[in-house]
Amino acid sequence: MSANFYKILTILVLFSSAAIADENAKGMKLFNEKAMCATCHTMKAAGSKGNVGPNLDTLKPTVAQVKDIVTHGLGAMPAFGEDGLLTPEEIDTVSIYVAKNAGK
Amino acid sequence: MKKRKSNINPSRRKFLTGSATVAGVAAASALVPIKVSYANHTASDAKGLPGFIKWKKRSSLIIHSDKTMETHREAIGSSVITPIRHIYIRNNMPTMTDAQIGKKSQWKLKVEGVKNPKTFTLSQLQNLGRTTMATVLQCSGNGRGFFPHKPRGSQWKTGAAACVMWTGIPLSTVIKACGGLSGGAKYVTATGSDMPSNLDPKKALVERSVPVKVKKDAMLAWEMNGVALPNAHGGPLRFIPPGYFGINNVKHCGKIAFTKDQSQVKYMKKSYRISPIGKKGSQYPSCWEMPVKSWITSPMKRSSSGNVSISGVAFGGTRKVSSVSVSTDGGKNWKKAKLIGPDLGKFAWRQFVFNAKLKPGKYNIASKASAGGKSQPKLRMENRRGYAHNGWRDHSLNISVS
Repeated sequence: MSANFYKILTILVLFSSAAIADENAKGMKLFNEKAMCATCHTMKAAGSKGNVGPNLDTLKPTVAQVKDIVTHGLGAMPAFGEDGLLTPEEIDTVSIYVAKNAGK
Repeated sequence: MKKRKSNINPSRRKFLTGSATVAGVAAASALVPIKVSYANHTASDAKGLPGFIKWKKRSSLIIHSDKTMETHREAIGSSVITPIRHIYIRNNMPTMTDAQIGKKSQWKLKVEGVKNPKTFTLSQLQNLGRTTMATVLQCSGNGRGFFPHKPRGSQWKTGAAACVMWTGIPLSTVIKACGGLSGGAKYVTATGSDMPSNLDPKKALVERSVPVKVKKDAMLAWEMNGVALPNAHGGPLRFIPPGYFGINNVKHCGKIAFTKDQSQVKYMKKSYRISPIGKKGSQYPSCWEMPVKSWITSPMKRSSSGNVSISGVAFGGTRKVSSVSVSTDGGKNWKKAKLIGPDLGKFAWRQFVFNAKLKPGKYNIASKASAGGKSQPKLRMENRRGYAHNGWRDHSLNISVS
């Protein structure tokens, strides 16, 4: 393997881990601010202590589960997707964020 | 999740198999499923009870989340009234704490839509009138876990139901104390005081309207199975319109209004509507009166050959159960079961027993109740949110006799 290959690989790894950290920060911001998940849900990683909906640290939902419920809503939970409260990209970001951080 | 052995429910079986092959992918997760570790209290990583219901009996409950849990099918018991430590929990808002409630005797109930609108304290109500009544309390989504399209929400099987003895004041006595209705009322609208103040009432207030005819039998309860109504079940005061689904039994009740229109909040207008799959809206029927239903609670899995006592519970919503039939061959033949135990009135459930002579082998046992001229259907009524399931086939059990 050439030295160049390792250089490129190192750059790629650094770049992608920075991108992941960035996505995580975006997810947390959505969770606590725009989507206001924190008002109703407890999730330690986000520092939230809401008590209306289920505790996400206990529930540990998958990305698909979060996405589904955020899109369509349930009971007091708004339909963030159907009602246009979040963009599809924002729903992806916050869903990945919750699935990754719940229970941590 | 347990796998069913027989082919009595091919659609469900197909679903289970399908979801297993794509585990982790979206198809498996259009809901919040019961994880085995939650369901089985004996699992090493079984979840404990959350603080607000520490007094419940863990081994009698299946935990769906830290806010929702149902009674194990066999933990309903066979003494008609469900033990309070076994009763399911499904609260739309966080349970009010003692601090939020304050002095219970001073809890306030506002009454509107009457000739003389008044606000009563709990202790005033307790000195105004009294009655005791048994009713079946059942979540609208009880049985949702049987729907193959996997509706969102807790995957209840049979355990989001209980038979409860309530003590409180008849609604009719309250109306009389307020000089009668002011006229034109079509609904009784009950409001919970449990919504946290940072939420929007239009979206999160638990306020339910039921037809005004319920005033004949409805009550406001402060006691449940002989103890002061626990906060987790809506204490200190809960509205009980007997025969109506759980959501209408408004917890932490702070207001009763006799109204011309149904409440405009989300919990009335949009949620709890029985709509076809893929459709929603307030034009569809609300979860009000419960349809006739029954299920077997014993034996659950196996039995010794010879005489086998098959027993369970049956109720008719607002109608008295007239009969229950039992089948041991997946519904090909039905025989009449015997109604046993005390008859606690048409709003309570009845216990039934059927003594079958069974040789060693596999059996599918089912029960079918009738009330008010209607019998349970074989199949579920498919609907978007998985409400009001009373089909007998999904509620049947596969047992082995040795």
